[in-house]
Amino acid sequence: MSVNKQQLLSAVQQQLLSLWALLRGFWTKLLAEAKPQLRAIAAKAEPQVQAIAAKVEPQIRAIAAKVEPQTRAITAKAGPALRQVGPLIGQLWRELRSPDSWREIRMRPLLMKHVRLLVITDDLPQASLTLAETESFHPDTRPPEEQLLSGIPGRDYREIYQQAHGRLEKIAKVVPVEAAADLDEVRVIEPDELRAINEQLTERWAEASRFEEGFRRIEEQDRFIREQQASLENFSNLEIDLGALRNKTRFLDFYVGVVPRENLSRLQGAVTLADHLLFTYLEREQSTHVVIVGPRGEQESQLASVLSSASFQPLPIPAGLEDASPEQKQDELNAKRQQLQAERKALSAEVDAWERMHREALRSAQQALQMAAPFVTLDPSIRSAGHLAVVCGWVPAREFSALEARLRASLSLPFELESRNPTPAERPLVPTVATHNRFLAPFSMLVKQYGIPQYGEVDPTPLFAVTFLLMFGSMFGDIGQGAVIAGVAWAFRAKLGRFYRFGIIAGLSSMFFGVLFGSIFGYEEILPALWKSPIHHPILMLQIALGYGVLFIAIACGLAIYNRIAVKDLAAAVFGHHGLVNLIFYLALVWGAVGIATNSSFGTAPLALVIVALMALAGYAWSHMKAPIGEKILVVFIETLETVIGYISNTLSFLRVAAFSLNHAALSLAVLTLAGMMGPAGHLITVILGNVFVLVLEGGIVMIQVMRLQYYEGFSRYFSGDGHEFSPLKLRRGPV
Amino acid sequence: MHEPYLNTRVSAMAEHLVDPDEVMALCGLSLPELAQRFGLEGLLEESLDRRAKSRSVKQALINTLLDELRILIRPMEAAEAGLILAWGRKYALFNLKTLLRGKLYELNQAEIRANLFELPAHVRLPQQDLFQAEGVLELLRKLEQGPYSLIAKQGREVFEQKRDPFALEAAIDQRYYSEMARRLQQVHDSSQPELKQLLGAMLDRVALMWLLRFRFSYALSPSETFYQLVPSVRLLHRDRLLTLVNLDSLEEIIAALPEPLQSALAGSQSLIEVQQRLGGYVTQEARRLLARGQSGVARSLAYLILREHGVLMLFALVQGQLLGLPRELVEIAVEAQPPDCALPLPSAA
Repeated sequence: MSVNKQQLLSAVQQQLLSLWALLRGFWTKLLAEAKPQLRAIAAKAEPQVQAIAAKVEPQIRAIAAKVEPQTRAITAKAGPALRQVGPLIGQLWRELRSPDSWREIRMRPLLMKHVRLLVITDDLPQASLTLAETESFHPDTRPPEEQLLSGIPGRDYREIYQQAHGRLEKIAKVVPVEAAADLDEVRVIEPDELRAINEQLTERWAEASRFEEGFRRIEEQDRFIREQQASLENFSNLEIDLGALRNKTRFLDFYVGVVPRENLSRLQGAVTLADHLLFTYLEREQSTHVVIVGPRGEQESQLASVLSSASFQPLPIPAGLEDASPEQKQDELNAKRQQLQAERKALSAEVDAWERMHREALRSAQQALQMAAPFVTLDPSIRSAGHLAVVCGWVPAREFSALEARLRASLSLPFELESRNPTPAERPLVPTVATHNRFLAPFSMLVKQYGIPQYGEVDPTPLFAVTFLLMFGSMFGDIGQGAVIAGVAWAFRAKLGRFYRFGIIAGLSSMFFGVLFGSIFGYEEILPALWKSPIHHPILMLQIALGYGVLFIAIACGLAIYNRIAVKDLAAAVFGHHGLVNLIFYLALVWGAVGIATNSSFGTAPLALVIVALMALAGYAWSHMKAPIGEKILVVFIETLETVIGYISNTLSFLRVAAFSLNHAALSLAVLTLAGMMGPAGHLITVILGNVFVLVLEGGIVMIQVMRLQYYEGFSRYFSGDGHEFSPLKLRRGPV
Repeated sequence: MHEPYLNTRVSAMAEHLVDPDEVMALCGLSLPELAQRFGLEGLLEESLDRRAKSRSVKQALINTLLDELRILIRPMEAAEAGLILAWGRKYALFNLKTLLRGKLYELNQAEIRANLFELPAHVRLPQQDLFQAEGVLELLRKLEQGPYSLIAKQGREVFEQKRDPFALEAAIDQRYYSEMARRLQQVHDSSQPELKQLLGAMLDRVALMWLLRFRFSYALSPSETFYQLVPSVRLLHRDRLLTLVNLDSLEEIIAALPEPLQSALAGSQSLIEVQQRLGGYVTQEARRLLARGQSGVARSLAYLILREHGVLMLFALVQGQLLGLPRELVEIAVEAQPPDCALPLPSAA
């Protein structure tokens, strides 16, 4: 049996080597065949290219002369920018050396305490404010266990706050309400003060809404004049005496006006029923211009009601059409529009003056509302009985003493603050504090895309960061391209926010592996490899990738076991998916595979371990399944088989790490080969474009592959991601 | 479109519908029996008063109906789903009318809130935003940004012109049905004929009821009445409505109706009787479609109409029990017995 396996392994190895040789041969042959043809094309094209160059040279010189000042300006600016590289590296180095950069790196969750604050109801607003100031209290909105605590204080406060806040928001749409950089003084906003602010804002909004209404009226009049202008064009083409339509006659009733399009059909029917006729003479985007004619009489009042329901707007028929030219009338209407424009300006000036007059009052109202907000936010978590009120929440254990001290300092009336550890049943409710480490924060954001660690679970962020950088760097190892990634991240740091550090670290990782592989912008001859070039050692790269995969999966299983032990689920830790038995099976399988590779034998001990582990898994699955016997056999067999296949395929999945590092080198080789066929300028352009292509396309693919390995091969084994984030009560600062 | 899936879904859901023959027996059930039979736990809550119980039951029934609507529109294409969703938006319009009345009569927020229904996200109004509005016009302007824009715009224009709550609500209802008629035109050809029959029956009913109400209860002129109506896509189309609004009595109007409306309403003496018979006209059409229809979308709408009918009937039963009404009245309310209180309507001379 062992001989057969050795033969099999040897055959697979031979196949891989021959496949690689075939691919290299094919590539070299392709290049060798293509070279003469490309050279021939280049030789043929050369006279034409030179002719074109001679023609475009003057234009290029002219353009160059034109853009020279700008170029100089850019160069002048680029100089200082380049001079910033030194301080940048210095800053990064200082950040790395700073002890702050290494704080908050933890895989265990921050310990949390459940706290219960019992206060006199009158002290609730102050307590809320203090809790918000500490930024360490995450409210627990569960109803209290005590039946007596059924009252919900602060309901009126919340209503008034919401009204006032809503009004301030509406005012801020009319005039900018300047955001205070910081609160002048943090104090309790008493209900009476809040009520007064609300009343004040009611008055301000009444004034502001009048401005809004004024703008709307001007807009409406402007729209109506535009309708008149359109109508006038039509009137001027009609060969009838419009003057006759202006006044109602003894027998005839006339209406000329505009109606919203969607009402036209119904209006037409209604007009007919009132013995009138409706003619459409102009259709605009959303409105239709109509003339309604009918006999005078009792139907008139009915029609007036219908016209009003149909939002009919009568158009005044211009006087003196017969003795004035349409141009003259258009000028009159244009003058009216200009008058409206002047009114708009005057109103804007009035709004500005109003804003200046009330700026301070609005600003202080905004600050007061910011200080009132914590009590309102906390409202659903507060319960009371008589003069006592209770508020519960979650606090990081290390912040508890500080919180207690702050409450002692700020509350004038007696209070009681109790704390306890979360119970096992409460674990899913306990919020998880995300890491605030400046380097890990961007990785934490990527982890969050999968889910938030449940309280008690391992926070995978540090492991994710290390393995991400290892995989990304090894798959995309190049000093030059890494430097570009880091440089771009630095250049766009303002736009990228705290994510820019992620770009810089990824770039540095790529540069580090570039040094190991001796690759700079795809050139492998400029710098000697500190270790080895992947393309010249493909089998070694594949072996390392496999070894890395085994280590990764084993660590993931280890974390899965730890997480289950942490939540006291011992059965799952031993027999569950990726539990201890799975890990034993997997390691035994790897042991056997290494045995085959080295001694041509799987080995008795690993074989025994594999069989025992599989039987244990099958037995566990059998005992936990309730189904007819046939179905049980089928399901247990398939599940066991899936375990075997799953681990093998998951390990082979890591071959992509090597494959992409080879792919990266091969792509760079292709770019350089193409560039080698060009002249000096063509060479430079091809190298630049080729590197851009590699950076964008391959960089993106590598990123996706790394994330796939992290999420699928890593997180899915040990990370449930169904926790929720610590979101403490805070004083809201900034704009409304 | 997953027609077979939708049809299977509708058939499975149709098992929950109350059989018409069962209605009389349900009238005899006590509150606990009704609660047990239909899973209405709110009825058994001792701590709730009568009004709260009634509200909790209505809320639970509406939630069930709208949850089923959400399940049914999931496999539909956008135009079809839009039509069914437009039908379900009537519950949001109930809330809109409550909010508008609250603003018109300056009720406090707690009172308004107590009369609003909690609706699922797919039909919900931006209530918190609307609460902040200081008046009817501001509320309608806020609503003009979103799926209710046409309804809100129409309502605002009418209110700006007339300042009349009745005209405002009439405009909202009018736009609601017009919107359904408009969406019907966008539906895929294969579903359109059956949907036309069903929606047509619904629009026929609405047009006739409004016509009678506006002409005889509110004494509006023919032209004013016509303007408020929504032409149907089946029997009471635009031209027929133009003829009908000009008639001066119930008998004349019934005589001028096309078949099968004429036979269904022949001899009706009151508006309530007309309303009850027309209700049957729509549910019969829905039952026919549910049993023999081909289009999954039309069958879905038919199911929802019947389900809503069942829900309202159940609510009437519960309400009757909570108010301690005599069984005869409850039977009339659930249409198990014909009404015996006729409203006087103008007769032909």
